[in-house]
Amino acid sequence: MKQESLSNSRSSQVISARSTIANNAKKMTSKNEQSAPAELSEYLIAVGTNRDKQAFAKLFAWFGPKIKRIAAQKLNNDAAGFDITQETMTRVWRKAHLFVPEKGAATTWVYTVMRNVIFDTMRKNKTQKAESLSDDIWPIEDQISEEIPFQDHLMSNQLSKLVKQLPPNQQEALTAVYFKQLTHEELAKQLNIPVGTVKSRIRLAVTKLKQQLGADHD
Amino acid sequence: MIKYHPSDILLANFSSGDLPASIAIGVSIHCQMCPTCQAEVDKLTDKLAGHDFNLDFDVEFDAEFASTLDSEIEGSESNPATTNDIKPMTSMDFGNMIDAITANDEISEQTIDKTVSIDLRGKPFELPKQLNNVGLSNWLNIGKLSRTSLDLDEGHVHSHLIHIAAGGEVPTHTHKGFEITLLLDGSFSDHMDTYHKGDFIELSSEHNHKPKTAYGCLCYTVADDALHFTEGFHKIFNPIGNLLY
Repeated sequence: MKQESLSNSRSSQVISARSTIANNAKKMTSKNEQSAPAELSEYLIAVGTNRDKQAFAKLFAWFGPKIKRIAAQKLNNDAAGFDITQETMTRVWRKAHLFVPEKGAATTWVYTVMRNVIFDTMRKNKTQKAESLSDDIWPIEDQISEEIPFQDHLMSNQLSKLVKQLPPNQQEALTAVYFKQLTHEELAKQLNIPVGTVKSRIRLAVTKLKQQLGADHD
Repeated sequence: MIKYHPSDILLANFSSGDLPASIAIGVSIHCQMCPTCQAEVDKLTDKLAGHDFNLDFDVEFDAEFASTLDSEIEGSESNPATTNDIKPMTSMDFGNMIDAITANDEISEQTIDKTVSIDLRGKPFELPKQLNNVGLSNWLNIGKLSRTSLDLDEGHVHSHLIHIAAGGEVPTHTHKGFEITLLLDGSFSDHMDTYHKGDFIELSSEHNHKPKTAYGCLCYTVADDALHFTEGFHKIFNPIGNLLY
């Protein structure tokens, strides 16, 4: 009961805050409201699984101008709106594989990415702190545990077969970390590459394995 | 069973990212323990996303923008002069942005669910992962009380982790502003109620309380007048420290 009235009052706040802009918008176009196209979710999946640049451009076309406007308004600064658009869309590009369509709409997912970027940016502006806390406060990534359970030898066999099909650098990273128990840092030092690259390779490899194992089980 | 929850206003502002980090951390930890509030936050977030993204101001521009970008991505830049002439400045900038973003094929590193365990008077506690990137001061021990400050740099709003060992109590105190206490582990009581793990207790300046714990507890606290709190802390504990032993 109480909840409902509050949500409504918040909604009306949001609406009233935007009403000026909405009115301006009416002058520009006859159509001032549009629901999110269903394809957004497909584009996001295409980016996540195939690094599909055209799908990303479509996402950008839909979200980019909106993010810029929302951010510029929230930070009261046009240039900041541009930076936030860039950072948000960069994270969308890099994190699209973490989007789970069953869990919610693409618009909500991108909204949370944008909210986190704005939160971190405003915090950086206000404090001396540079570290990003938003991903700890609103975890949008599917946390996966460090161990891959090997339940039976058939699974192990299948897994090692799939591992051998991975690109060499991913195979190397996966084997070193999961089978030889090296830490990300140790491997990075050994290969003389950044830790982030090691983690990226492992993430790509694990995502691929998950997809293939999932597909085989269906 | 969690009985005390963040107010509706806190949940709404948490969802939109408008709370100070200290309070957002408290709400986040609570939501992790409370499926009801988590569901409410999910609902609110959905609603906010709808409002922010569906109030669409320039549908026509978007469509034109999309087709321009499409041709750019496909590499058909055979006619740059004519297209650039009519292209709004912003879409050119956005086009460059897309190129710059997609040029880098790295994907975001996976976060490993690391848990940090802290040892307080021989008892291990799991540190909420929300604090993984927050600096903690050295633990200050006074009697049955241990306290560490979070380095969040939020002016008057200060946050602490406070551990009270079994049988300990905090002498009566008030706060000038608000105080939020989130019970991370154990339980404590004051004259109003007994609180359990996950309870999110908001107190305003009218409340004064004297929390005590029979079996020990670990709390995350946020107070908006830490100067007063710190003063109070020393003022209270120095002369009557014997209360705590």
